[in-house]
Amino acid sequence: MEEVIVTIALWFGFYTIVSLSLNLEYGFAGIPNFGRALAVLMGGVAVGGIFNRILIYAFGVSGDIITASAQIRSMTNDLIASNPVYGVGLLLLCLALAAILGAVTGALFILPSAKLSEDYLAITLLAISEVAFMVCNYNTAIIGGYYGVSTPDVLAFVPGEERMVAFTVVTLLIAFLVYVIVRRLTNSPFGRLLRAMRENESVVEATGKSVMVLRIKTAAIGSALASLAGALYSLYSVNVIATSFSRVEWTFYPFLMLLLGGAGNNRGVVVGTFTFVIVKILLTIYKHEIRTFLHLPFEAVWLEYILFGLLMYFVLLYRPEGLIKERPIFTAPIKKVVAKIRA
Amino acid sequence: MKVLETQNLSKFFDGLKALNRVNIGVEKGSITLVIGPNGSGKTTFINTVSGFYRADEGKVFFEGRDITNKPPYEISKLGIVRTFQIPQPLKKMTVLENLLIAPDGYGESVLNTITGKWMNEEEEIVEKAFKILEFLKIDHLWDSEAQNLSGGQLKLLEVARAMMKDAKLIIMDEPIAGVNPVLSHDMLDRFVELKKMGISFLIVEHRLDIVLKYSDHIYVMANGSVIAEGKEEDILNNPRVVEVYLGASDSEVECGV
Repeated sequence: MEEVIVTIALWFGFYTIVSLSLNLEYGFAGIPNFGRALAVLMGGVAVGGIFNRILIYAFGVSGDIITASAQIRSMTNDLIASNPVYGVGLLLLCLALAAILGAVTGALFILPSAKLSEDYLAITLLAISEVAFMVCNYNTAIIGGYYGVSTPDVLAFVPGEERMVAFTVVTLLIAFLVYVIVRRLTNSPFGRLLRAMRENESVVEATGKSVMVLRIKTAAIGSALASLAGALYSLYSVNVIATSFSRVEWTFYPFLMLLLGGAGNNRGVVVGTFTFVIVKILLTIYKHEIRTFLHLPFEAVWLEYILFGLLMYFVLLYRPEGLIKERPIFTAPIKKVVAKIRA
Repeated sequence: MKVLETQNLSKFFDGLKALNRVNIGVEKGSITLVIGPNGSGKTTFINTVSGFYRADEGKVFFEGRDITNKPPYEISKLGIVRTFQIPQPLKKMTVLENLLIAPDGYGESVLNTITGKWMNEEEEIVEKAFKILEFLKIDHLWDSEAQNLSGGQLKLLEVARAMMKDAKLIIMDEPIAGVNPVLSHDMLDRFVELKKMGISFLIVEHRLDIVLKYSDHIYVMANGSVIAEGKEEDILNNPRVVEVYLGASDSEVECGV
């Protein structure tokens, strides 16, 4: 039971980061980012591709990325086990690398939006994300392709049985930080401009703001945040492999959580994410029991896809505003002025 | 001194000359009116001047500076603000928020957002927005979503957003269409006040009965060209204007065109 709760909490952490980043981009700014998985993959690349190479260079290990990474893991794990500061430092370095790579990728990735309207942009972003996925999967020189690469265990100083709990705490902490950042960004004149852009781009241009610049800023921040989730997930699994950054897991599911919770409402999105994660984890853990009980002629994994597909369908059809509807945002200065007028 | 001046401004749509060598100038601190029948190119003129359409020929000068074919946000930054003929509200945002997005550069900085520096500015901006809403008598609607407003109220929202920006030139596409006459006169009186402060207005409007007496200079457009210009009496006595616009037949005059 305890393990189930920890697993739910851990995935709630990963997915909260991604769904909130998507809420900033889609829920508030109206950018149809069907390529969310790309930014998460960039988190994996930052850890498996860049961070590992830095260590390989620093330790002077030779050989290709796959074998060298395995060597590096055993060397650094011993170091981290004896010195926690080292592990925490490497964790922060990974997160910083992921955020930078994510921001740069996000900013470049959104450039086609200058020429494309919403639906074409969505398809293009999906395509870019898929191409990046294919390249990372088949080119073994980046993150080991379909073999994957190992990464150091940054929490090697924590005893084995408590490692997962410790990692969950770290992830939830980062997720909370992301919530604070997204809330601060959206509950402000900047967030107001993003919503204005979603409602009507011409009006934003007519008031002297470049829609393109706003979009680039939003995509850079959103992708940087989503990238953190990719990095954390990679460090948790002490292994980076392209196939674990699929579009179902990191684009479709986050969209489902967002729509279920309520696009444009941060609290709603957190609630949506929590609901989704509970259902998903329970389905995964009890897949054999469910299969036997329902006499399914197929694996329970497929049941998951069917259920979530249907859920998306019904949410869009019967509750497009989500569990918690978007509400007007009254900033502190607005409340102050209104109180003054009423007095 | 002319704050806005176009030289032979032309815009073609597949061979249709929507604007044909149009020369219109707006004196600093004046209210300039552009009238003309439907399809005469008035809105095309506004869209081309404000950068929403690309000009095919000719030039646009603002304060002596060539602004032809600059993107809309750059033109807006220079001090030209425009409204839209069909109101463009930010539907799912409150009336107040519709105004708060207007000030120049406000809300664009991510750094100021994270540090919370915007809080200092916001109070002042909100107070200004409330004054404008009060003036236009829609302050009681401040927290309603714009999608719940009536057609006339949406028109006022467009005007409010334009007033929110400290512009040098305000271009308005039919600001009083659908607004009651009393409020229309109030609004135009306010424009006259702003005019005295050096702000210039370029207004496209059909309700001549209301708007003519507030205008300093009038241009009449037909089929993409300027066919007449001058003061109120010049226009009213010009036989060509009477023919194309003020009513070729008596019946239309009775309808209040």
